[in-house]
Amino acid sequence: MADNVDVVEGCRLPVLRKNQENEDEWPLAEILSVKEIPGRKLYYVHYIDFNKRLDEWVTPDRLDMKKLQFPKKEAKTPTKNGLPGSRPSSPEREVVSAHSTAGYSSQTLTCCNSKLRFNGTARRLMASQPGRKRKANCGGTDEDSQDSSDGIPSAPRMTGSLVSDRSHDDIVTRMKNIDCIELGRHRLKPWYFSPYPQELTTLPVLYLCEFCLKYLKSLKCLQRHLTKCNLRHPPGNEIYRKGTISFFEIDGRKNKTYSQNLCLLAKCFLDHKTLYYDTDPFLFYVMTEYDSKGFHIVGYFSKEKESTEDYNVACILTLPPYQRRGYGKLLIEFSYELSKVEGKTGTPEKPLSDLGLLSYRSYWSQTILEILMDLKPDNGERPQITINEISEITSVKKEDVISTLQYLNLINYYKGQYILTLSEDIVDGHERAMQKRHLRIDPKCLHFTPKDWSKRGKW
Amino acid sequence: MSKLSFRARALDAAKPLPIYRSRDLPDLKDCVSINRAVPQMPTGMEKEEELEHHLQRAISAQQVFREKKENMVIPVPEAESNITYYDRLYKGELKVPKQLIHIQPLGLDNEQPDYDMDSEDETLLNRLNRKMEIKPLQFETMVDRLEKASANQLVSLPEAKLLLNEDDYLLKSVYDYWVRKRKNCRGPSLIPQIKQEKRDGSTNNDAYVAFRRRTEKMQTRKNRKNDEASYEKMLKLRREFSRTVTILEMIKRREKSKRELLHLTLEVVEKRYLLGDFTGEVLNEVTVPLAEKPVYTAPVTLTNGNRHKAELKTKMHKTGLMHQVSIKDEFPFDCVRPKKKYSKRDKLYTQRRPGRPPSQYTVNKADIKQYDFHSSGEEDYTPPLSPPSEPDEENDPDGLFAFRRKAGCQYLSVSVCKLAGMDALRHRHSLTALSLPSRLVGLGRRRMGRGGRVILDRASSGLDVVLKQLDPDAFASPVSRTRDINRVSSATAASSFAEILNNIQSLRWHCFRPRPAQHQVNEGSRMGKPSLDGRVTSSLLLNTKNNGSGGLSFTAGADNQQLVGKTSEIFFTSAQCAKCTLTSYGLHSLLQCSSTGTSRPPHSATLSHSGAGISGRVSSSGIGGPLLPTHSSSSLQSLPNHRNHVSAVSPAHHHHSAQPSAPSPSALKLATVATTLDHVPKVTPASTISNLARENHEPERLLNGISETTMAMEVT
Repeated sequence: MADNVDVVEGCRLPVLRKNQENEDEWPLAEILSVKEIPGRKLYYVHYIDFNKRLDEWVTPDRLDMKKLQFPKKEAKTPTKNGLPGSRPSSPEREVVSAHSTAGYSSQTLTCCNSKLRFNGTARRLMASQPGRKRKANCGGTDEDSQDSSDGIPSAPRMTGSLVSDRSHDDIVTRMKNIDCIELGRHRLKPWYFSPYPQELTTLPVLYLCEFCLKYLKSLKCLQRHLTKCNLRHPPGNEIYRKGTISFFEIDGRKNKTYSQNLCLLAKCFLDHKTLYYDTDPFLFYVMTEYDSKGFHIVGYFSKEKESTEDYNVACILTLPPYQRRGYGKLLIEFSYELSKVEGKTGTPEKPLSDLGLLSYRSYWSQTILEILMDLKPDNGERPQITINEISEITSVKKEDVISTLQYLNLINYYKGQYILTLSEDIVDGHERAMQKRHLRIDPKCLHFTPKDWSKRGKW
Repeated sequence: MSKLSFRARALDAAKPLPIYRSRDLPDLKDCVSINRAVPQMPTGMEKEEELEHHLQRAISAQQVFREKKENMVIPVPEAESNITYYDRLYKGELKVPKQLIHIQPLGLDNEQPDYDMDSEDETLLNRLNRKMEIKPLQFETMVDRLEKASANQLVSLPEAKLLLNEDDYLLKSVYDYWVRKRKNCRGPSLIPQIKQEKRDGSTNNDAYVAFRRRTEKMQTRKNRKNDEASYEKMLKLRREFSRTVTILEMIKRREKSKRELLHLTLEVVEKRYLLGDFTGEVLNEVTVPLAEKPVYTAPVTLTNGNRHKAELKTKMHKTGLMHQVSIKDEFPFDCVRPKKKYSKRDKLYTQRRPGRPPSQYTVNKADIKQYDFHSSGEEDYTPPLSPPSEPDEENDPDGLFAFRRKAGCQYLSVSVCKLAGMDALRHRHSLTALSLPSRLVGLGRRRMGRGGRVILDRASSGLDVVLKQLDPDAFASPVSRTRDINRVSSATAASSFAEILNNIQSLRWHCFRPRPAQHQVNEGSRMGKPSLDGRVTSSLLLNTKNNGSGGLSFTAGADNQQLVGKTSEIFFTSAQCAKCTLTSYGLHSLLQCSSTGTSRPPHSATLSHSGAGISGRVSSSGIGGPLLPTHSSSSLQSLPNHRNHVSAVSPAHHHHSAQPSAPSPSALKLATVATTLDHVPKVTPASTISNLARENHEPERLLNGISETTMAMEVT
């Protein structure tokens, strides 16, 4: 069926997928890659307006060929700005290089085109424009030379571990490269690209040692590895334990192998995380759950040893099998407990992911509401509090306090002054939520002495 | 509308906000729109992602229901937690410790191999296990080492042999398997590794390269300035440590082989003793093929592996020392059991054995070569006692021991030091005689060994050859004791062998003899046998040769005792065979031929004075090592020829000359030797000059040479 028309990269068409209610839906999708395995073709599709984590390889019968839209030649999607050769050559690409002799004019053309298409499909295109402009401004008429010449300046910033600019988002990193990861009792389906050694990306399953997170190509190798690996917990100092929950602190400089393995695993589930630079300036806080087999990793967050921007979390992740069970909030709570010990306010590094935003908002809301509801009338006067006070108590950065108050619609202007109003449904909702929140950090169980990294001379 | 006409003041974070419940403020709805005055905070998400369908749905659901609705959550790819074999995979249980866990991060990298065996390897292992025992861990360690040693290209088999201390068959099978597997492997290594950045920046955009070093000046605070430098230093240190490890491993290997060889040698000796092979004939038969084995095949380490280049120097040093130690070890063996006449003895002195058939030496020599080669892989570079076998002998005759001036060192003038050197030697050591094979063993030093054994540390000197000709009993009788140096120097002029004997006898040497002499002076053994006489002279002649070069070395300055040793060995092989068939005169005339060919008027004159003249020469270079300066001026231009010749003899020549070890060497063979000599005299003026220039360094070298044979001493 699909064979008579050539579905190439960049084509858009509705693709069948099941939604959460297990109903069929046909969201518009873009073809990112085509591969031929013996007997049939497979298409890697990205559902427009859906998160990349839902991208997948589909068989031709799931494509709605009747509504196929061919890519507009000049209006390349940002993903095609990747490395020369990083994507399989396609006819469209050749057209572009033919144009590139008249580089400047083709550039203008591109801009016009994006504008023209603005009404249509092109939120993604608009968003990508800054990237294109910057590239074009590098000067030079030959596209290829631009690509190679801006290698160094385009390296991501050295601080933090998240990238916000997507100039590196080429076709390679846009596609998941690992099919399945086996970690302890779990089989995980990665959400995003992760730079595991390339020769391992073709495996049906990548095996990870549950405790040291070493990657292995087969079960046999894992078996062998386990005879040599005697770790039963993350290789760091346990700084918190209550019940079965423990937190281990790992220094990204002192324990590189583990930190890197952890980052590789985390990258599978974090889109904007960059592994461009080494792990030296980070500390990793790994949350584990204990059972008779050992301390099993549940999630982690990383944190810059010294943050210039008040970040108290760089990357944060609850592993998929543990998601939606309150562990994420526990991780967040722990990160603020650390900030409290440090006597600082902090905020997570941006950009947040969708799940990150929801989790943080939820945590902030509950934390702030908890404070507001607990305030008792003082000498018969109405209780009051400043934003700074909230921030100090919770270690949540002021901006986040404000944004949460706003999001909850608590701030009102009444009779010439700002007030906080707690509506019924907010109060009820909060009480319901707090009843469900069993997992809490107990500050008494935290044994943590912050180090002054600036005085140590090294990270 | 009018309500909006005023602008609300900015929200002040420091200003208290009163908290109301909505029910307390029925008129709140009126002022809601004011909210706009508070600047909207960014969510912190990427704009495009913020608009994603599922997120928006989840947000609005939360706004509406104030809690999560099951079907409104953001969908994610599934995860399963049903690995059934988990308990078999992760064996054992862990009891939770009472205390919080603390770990030393530095203790983490244990010595476990990073390579993990796969099922393919297991098949091989099962196959190998039929023939020998190999544990998975052992296999993994082997592959691990091979992998880690192969940075840019695969390690070669010889390198692998050095790397892995394993049985040859096992090594070969694993190596071959590894090479095959490596070829089929898609990754750059069998141990999957994260792609590393390349320094040229070509990998800046490679998505698979991760964890790049932060190379830019890390926003340097003052106390971080040195980070880069100290990092480099640590890198260097690490490199050097790993080199040390390699070296030590090789030493370990070598010493193991040495021990093995020692056992084998011992076994051979015992077997020979049982066989009654006192003439060495059996051994000779067996070992002739061995003698032909090329001695100078370069050791494997050195042919490949740039990695080892830098350590070469150290290695040479070390092996040099080791070798000396090993030689020293043999001395007790020699002296403790003096009755074992034909046991393998110190190479330097073997030729002195009376009554040993000429072939005997050659056989021994083969042994020695074998020993040298096998006992220490790199020994060819530092053959203090073995024939010079490295191909670049010509360019760098002294190899490791080549003299280098040290900055800031003062070098004393020639003659004084030379005398002092010889003197010192004479004072430190005494002439030593053995009682049972009644003979003199040259200079030596006594010390007490275990169980009251007397151990003799011998020192080699230019005198040895002469001294050992002497009857030990000659020293028993006290002789005139006032003989000063000048008098000795006059011995140069002495023209008869007897005279030299006298000279030596009359010197005030300390002499050690183990037991009061039984006075078994056997005149016949010394003089009566004409054959002995012939041998003596012929050996002397050889020594002439030897000392000719030795003497030269004194003047030319490029030599040390070690070289003397070398040259003597070279010539022994050729000349020993001459012993039987040719008289000293015949050989001498041959030599004379060569010397005339080399156009050295002064000395050929001396030499042509027939046997007596030769002995005179012997005395001059033998005893009178230190005395040479007296006549060096006359011989300077000519002597280097000889010396050069000596070093110019290629290994092939050795062999050629070594082969006539057959019981009846022919004159023809000797002629070849002579021709070799004839070929020599290509001395350029430059080399002569350089030899002259180096003359001054001789004293030190002489001393070094001596000390080399007595104790393990660092050669500067």
